[in-house]
Amino acid sequence: MSSPGVAPAGATGAPRGTLLRAVRLLDVDRRRLALAVLLGTLALGCAVALAGTAAWLIARASQMPPVMYLTVATVAVRAFGIGRGVLRYCERLVSHDLALRGMTTLRTTLYERLAAGRPDALVRLRHGDLLARVGADVDAVGDVVVRGLLPAAVAAVLGVGTVAAMCAFWVPAGLALAGCLLLAGVAAPALAARGARTAERRAVQARADMTATALGLLDDAGPLSVAGRVGTELTALRDADARIAAATDAGARPAALAAGLGQVAVGVAVLAALVTGIPAVARGALAPVELAVIVLTPLAAFEATGMLPAAALQVQRSRAAAARILALLDASGDPAPELPRRPAPGAGLVARDLACGWPGRPPVVTGLDLDLRPGRAVALVGSSGAGKTTTLLTLAGLLPAVSGTVGRDDDEGPPSPDVVVAALEDGHVFGTTVLENLRVARGDVTPTEARATLGRVGLDRWLAGLPDGLDTLLGPDARTVSGGERRRLLLARALLSPAPVLLVDEPAEHLDPQTADAVVGELFDAARSGRRAVLVVTHRLSALAAADEVVLLGGGHVMARGTHTDLLARVPGYREAIERETATRPGPPLGTDEGDTRAGDADAAEPADRDPVGGGRLV
Amino acid sequence: MRPLDPRLLRHARSARGYVGLTAALGILTAALVVAQALLLARALGRAVHDGATLDTLAPLVGWLAVVVLARAVVTSAQERWAHRSATRAVGELREAVVARTVALGPRRLAATGGAATVTLATRGLDALEPYFVRYLPQLLLAATVTPGTLLVVLGLDWVSAAILVGTLPLVPLFMVLVGRLTEGRSEAGLATMQRLGAQVLDLLAGLPTLRAFGRERGPAARVHALGDAHRRATMGTLRIAFLSGMVLELLTTLAVALVAVAIGLRLVDGDLDLVTGLAVLVLAPEVFWPLRQVGAQFHAAADGVAAAEQAFAVLDAPAPPTGSLPAPDLATTTVHLREVGVRTGDALTPAGLDVTLAPGSVVALVGPSGAGKSTAVELVLGLLRPDAGTVVLDSPGAPPVPLGDVDLPSYWRQVTWLPQRPVLEPGTIADVVGGASDQDRDAAATLTGLDAVVAAAPDGWRTELGRGGAGLSLGQRQRVALTRALLSDAPLVVLDEPTAHLDAAGEQVVLDAVRRLREDGRTVLLVAHRASLAACADTVVTVRTGAAVPA
Repeated sequence: MSSPGVAPAGATGAPRGTLLRAVRLLDVDRRRLALAVLLGTLALGCAVALAGTAAWLIARASQMPPVMYLTVATVAVRAFGIGRGVLRYCERLVSHDLALRGMTTLRTTLYERLAAGRPDALVRLRHGDLLARVGADVDAVGDVVVRGLLPAAVAAVLGVGTVAAMCAFWVPAGLALAGCLLLAGVAAPALAARGARTAERRAVQARADMTATALGLLDDAGPLSVAGRVGTELTALRDADARIAAATDAGARPAALAAGLGQVAVGVAVLAALVTGIPAVARGALAPVELAVIVLTPLAAFEATGMLPAAALQVQRSRAAAARILALLDASGDPAPELPRRPAPGAGLVARDLACGWPGRPPVVTGLDLDLRPGRAVALVGSSGAGKTTTLLTLAGLLPAVSGTVGRDDDEGPPSPDVVVAALEDGHVFGTTVLENLRVARGDVTPTEARATLGRVGLDRWLAGLPDGLDTLLGPDARTVSGGERRRLLLARALLSPAPVLLVDEPAEHLDPQTADAVVGELFDAARSGRRAVLVVTHRLSALAAADEVVLLGGGHVMARGTHTDLLARVPGYREAIERETATRPGPPLGTDEGDTRAGDADAAEPADRDPVGGGRLV
Repeated sequence: MRPLDPRLLRHARSARGYVGLTAALGILTAALVVAQALLLARALGRAVHDGATLDTLAPLVGWLAVVVLARAVVTSAQERWAHRSATRAVGELREAVVARTVALGPRRLAATGGAATVTLATRGLDALEPYFVRYLPQLLLAATVTPGTLLVVLGLDWVSAAILVGTLPLVPLFMVLVGRLTEGRSEAGLATMQRLGAQVLDLLAGLPTLRAFGRERGPAARVHALGDAHRRATMGTLRIAFLSGMVLELLTTLAVALVAVAIGLRLVDGDLDLVTGLAVLVLAPEVFWPLRQVGAQFHAAADGVAAAEQAFAVLDAPAPPTGSLPAPDLATTTVHLREVGVRTGDALTPAGLDVTLAPGSVVALVGPSGAGKSTAVELVLGLLRPDAGTVVLDSPGAPPVPLGDVDLPSYWRQVTWLPQRPVLEPGTIADVVGGASDQDRDAAATLTGLDAVVAAAPDGWRTELGRGGAGLSLGQRQRVALTRALLSDAPLVVLDEPTAHLDAAGEQVVLDAVRRLREDGRTVLLVAHRASLAACADTVVTVRTGAAVPA
């Protein structure tokens, strides 16, 4: 696929071959591609042929031959006039279908590779805007077929064809046309691409500053106004925009040169045909009618190359998108072989001398021993930043252990979803029904089970308020669900999973204290039933009396462990934390002047759907 | 879509000069196109018909070369200025939109779709670039080259001109016709396309979750099926959308072909001379060329115009009324909220709220989530005007003044506000917290626990904070903001849920800070979730939701 328009757009930071690798992933059907190129060439070929035939027709007609000699030409001119539009329509349909097929293949491949690759690549995917870009990036890679490769291929084929036809009449004119086509189809796109690259490179920082400043101003309009800093920030925004403009100016110079080159190329081709053709006519080497053809055809021959600067820019954009997609694929590594699912009731999880941390960074927790056997309820506590969530991800097998071991207690290998399920705070709520969202945990969840479980986490009133009950569609990523409702929905899903080990990250967040403690209690009850092990990561301590073991993390290791009562007796920091927390414990009588009436009033004032827990339904 | 919205010229200064320049270059281009066609036809005609030699034609060829060069220069200049003006105009619009949105206040931003404005300001307006660089020049060429060349053709040969003029109105007619016929179907198709696209992304986004449950393998088939459905829906839309393009190409190319045939037939009869025929043949495609380019760039430009219209909607919204009275000294002024309510949908949040902020008092707002505590804070700060009730400043020896009549910047200078998510400007920690002396600063830092943060920071007090306090955790940023609040001399301090994001130890810091503020005689308004915080207030006010009385 080395065609005139593609070659010049060389280095954009992405290694050579990046785009080619990504285009291979599109798995483009070669026959369809060939058909698209053929149709595209014929469509633009009609325009060139129209110009050539019309020139011949007019020049020949001026010699006043009998009209019948012109019949073929008059019919051909009309046919070319119709063919161009119709063929171009067909080409656009074929090429877009081709690109869309490619995008589907690429999306499926991406999904399959991410689904089967290294788990930590997925965890990383959640951070930053990677995911948001995946959709746009796949489209950009697909676009290269329609807007980059196809115009380049058409321009190449058509250019060769036109040059050959011109050479048949008069070789010098054909060669001049070839040179001019290269100027317009290779040099101009290369310049345009260079201009865009220059502008982009210089503007990266300015763009980042502009976005950050604009976002800051819009997000924090109130605080900035009150602090009197709106003016300063607007000046910073103006400054960032001025720097973007300066960068664009730098890139506009090559772009302007490219546009001028395109015009010069057409003119030079016409002039060359005229200047070399006229003496040839005088010498008798060229028929006068043929002179008209070789002079006027080039006027139409540059339409295909005229699209190439834009094609070069598209190639560049697609290459950047391809680099991001391939980085994602490379990070997820080779697909792991699919392990047979072994339902493992009664299995547990054991960690020995475990060190947890993000790959490539020092571990945040070391020397952790943990036994999570069915029936055990364990709490992992510690101040913010003590490494609680990292530990949980490691125990779930979503991050590799830095050192030490974590695995099933029956020596059947590393943590896998059939043994351990993690309910993370950033769990995804799918844009489907409530029931289907719960069935993510287990495909055969019945509506009765679903209702019962939603009730256990205090969502029964919420469910009753939904228009279609369990069949209510939830918005993409749960924008129609409040923070607390979402958290409990994710919890219900975790409870429905058949895995014997359940790891729950901060179930108390976004919930009022009573509900929070009730939810934690419900989780420990799930362990009490004897069929599963539960580990809860939390920074609320008051509900932990029901835990078999509380593990206090701090300073990168286990600071203390034991039952709630033990820690209360032995660890001063733990006791103080509890005391401060229980000071906030009694919910209703809040405040002084109106406290005695608050609870009742609040209930009366609340719309029924606002607080589905309704003041500690689970207590 | 309006081809050229006058509001664009009003709001983006850079656009004005650019449109003028582009129009001038358009007229120049039209002249050059005509000159090129006439020179080429004359040279070629005489060579073909009269067998003229290169020597006799040299002046014509020379002038032709000059015209070619001139066209290249004009095209270059157009391109050069297009990029420059596009970026500047986008920058000007962006600044205007952001400034106006900030002036309209946070509530207005939320009501009109905050995310949409953010997208518009950061990325959306960039869609104006293809509008300026590609579409607008072609639009102006359609206004100069098309009529210019047509007039010249008319002067040369009225039959050809009649064919071209006959075709021209068909172009917009058919475009509109095809557009009307396809509108409904395209919109339905577009909606299906977007839904299917979103579903695929939803599965990709949920992959970590599916994987955590060991159910990641199945949906691959669904991703493929959705992709296929997406393709079929898209192709259905495109089949119709491309029709308009085909009609445009068909009409214009066919018209040129008909002109050529008509010229040919009249040449045979001797009704026309070759030079005229060639000139018309070269000019005929030029009549349609700008129109076809306008059609080709239409979709890219439509995005830009849509973005510009969104921007105008923000810019043309009436500015909120601003007060002009200087704010009284808050150290002696009482702020009263009297029976205030703010309408949200069918409810008032808060409803009928009375708060009295006497100088030196500590007042806590409590109440369930969503009752309107933060809204009440915005009312006190003047960022929001109540839909019911009044906010009044009552200073001794002066008549009470509604906050709405007060020049807000003069009021804000006397207020320190610690929002739920503290906003820190870039700079060193020392710059950000301020303070009259190092002693004051260190004392305040000891109280808020910022001293430990500073001790652990790489450059101590001179550690640079990124925008928004980058480099610090949320809890640490809250300590910085709390220290700044302590060190500021603003008489009114507003703390919105200062204990959120803090553990029990962090909460003690807030209690200590409030105590210190009270000792300093400053007025404190607290939004409290935790009872311990509410307990340290002089007055606790419960915020309630109520049904809105129909207006």
